[in-house]
Amino acid sequence: MEEPEFFQLFVEGERVVDADVRLSYNHRGMEKRCESLTYDQIPLLLARICGICSASHPMAVANALEDLCRIEAPPRAQYIRAIICELERIHSHLLWVGLAGHFIGYNTVFMWAWRYREPVLDLCEKITGNRNHYENFKLGGVRRDIPQEAIPEILECVNAVEKPLTMLTKAVLDDPVLSVRLRGIGVLSEENGRRYCVTGPTARGSNLPIDVRRDEPYAAYDWVKWDVITQPQGDVFAKAVVRLLETYESIKIIRQCLEKMEPGETDNEPRSIPPGEGIGHAEAPRGETFHYVRSDGTNYPLRYKARAPTYVNLPSFKASVVGAELADAMLIVAAMDPCYSCTERMAVVDSRRHIEGVLTMKDLLRMSHEKTARLIQHHGIHPAEWKC
Amino acid sequence: MKRNQLVQQVKTELADRLADVVERNAKRVYLTVEPEHSLAVNRYLFEHGGRLATATGVDCRDWIEVCYHYCFDPLNVVITVKAKAYKPACELDSVATLFPGANFIEREIQDLLGARFLNHPDPRRLLLADDWPEGVYPLRKDYHHEAHVNTGRAVSPDHGRARVLSALRRG
Repeated sequence: MEEPEFFQLFVEGERVVDADVRLSYNHRGMEKRCESLTYDQIPLLLARICGICSASHPMAVANALEDLCRIEAPPRAQYIRAIICELERIHSHLLWVGLAGHFIGYNTVFMWAWRYREPVLDLCEKITGNRNHYENFKLGGVRRDIPQEAIPEILECVNAVEKPLTMLTKAVLDDPVLSVRLRGIGVLSEENGRRYCVTGPTARGSNLPIDVRRDEPYAAYDWVKWDVITQPQGDVFAKAVVRLLETYESIKIIRQCLEKMEPGETDNEPRSIPPGEGIGHAEAPRGETFHYVRSDGTNYPLRYKARAPTYVNLPSFKASVVGAELADAMLIVAAMDPCYSCTERMAVVDSRRHIEGVLTMKDLLRMSHEKTARLIQHHGIHPAEWKC
Repeated sequence: MKRNQLVQQVKTELADRLADVVERNAKRVYLTVEPEHSLAVNRYLFEHGGRLATATGVDCRDWIEVCYHYCFDPLNVVITVKAKAYKPACELDSVATLFPGANFIEREIQDLLGARFLNHPDPRRLLLADDWPEGVYPLRKDYHHEAHVNTGRAVSPDHGRARVLSALRRG
């Protein structure tokens, strides 16, 4: 999970007073590339935007192209899409919980979260043939059906995931150390959330009830019952709560989809692409993916725009990190669950003494771990005993 | 408020600022505006609850079309403002002066398509490399990779923009 990103923090002593982000070390020019790909190839390329969101981007592609062509996928395809998107959300949120645990020196959480992520990935493989990069979504439907006779087995797997998930969620939410360490840091206020146009768990942790799945239902989200999780505090803990509770909603959605799904067509591909434009968005684990396509009626799009959620969530880092301690900076970045999850290095400028230095990820991790240890000592608390 | 109420309200209150309104379907509305009205229309949509999802720049031969996509989440409608930045100047008023969420979005279009956003609070490069030649915009239709880039670039060893910012703050 080490990807390049350059954060420049201006500090006075240990306090962060200003921040600047520099990105695009790995810009891959996918929008340009899309202009020379056919509409069938685009979802395959855009799945590669991110290995973890590899269902959300093709989902948004399908939504945008179906808006352009004014068609809808058959119901069975819609259910399959929802199932895969929700499996992705579960494994992505568990990945985040593990990383957050690692960043504060709580490696038990890291080990456990990633251990329970494994069966979810296996389930993805069972359904689509791949643990990541499912390649299942296309304009007008899905490429691969779920065999009806496999459904009881899949349901069993989903149920098996729920129990350890409950245990993990309880352990994280009740843990005194985590509570002290994560509450009140990196607060993004509701007002700032709106001004920075944030999406996904970053918005829902700041009391902004935005969720594309409910606001503009695609796939099968309109046909099943589930809730949008929000938290009012806006701190790192609130975002953790949102992610953990959302995994339950995902399980609810998957279960209902599997039960309601009826045999039928899975593809409704149009004969040709009309000229015009289309907008499609989808709720990725990290927030809204937004795609815009403009067609001139040929085999290739005139312009394809894909915006990933981190692109709008990342600037809000400036609002939530100013005033924080340097030891928390890494955790606050991680709380947005940025797609390039780790910051390779961070430059620190002491604005009073004019000292510049570069802290590597190792330094920041060490600072974060030390703060956790200090808190444990200061409050005289012991991490709760975890039982399996 | 209902979806069609909002669309009606936008159409009547902004009537003299809009060059064209297309309702492609109930969930997708496209407004075309001339550059002088772009800021006012954007302000109106943001203040009435729109969330700027992103903006798309499109090279349209005589102008760069900047499409600001506003999601009105509870109403399930996306209103797109298509602002025309006429070549060769390609100038538009910056929406980032209204709210910081537009900052990165406009800088991306500035880098890739060469639209200029007036009064932008932080118009540094965002996506292109420091040694990318000036005045070459990779998403324009007349861009040719071989002609523009494979001509041997000078590589600057330092951290580029990050360095510039710290120098600014110190001064």
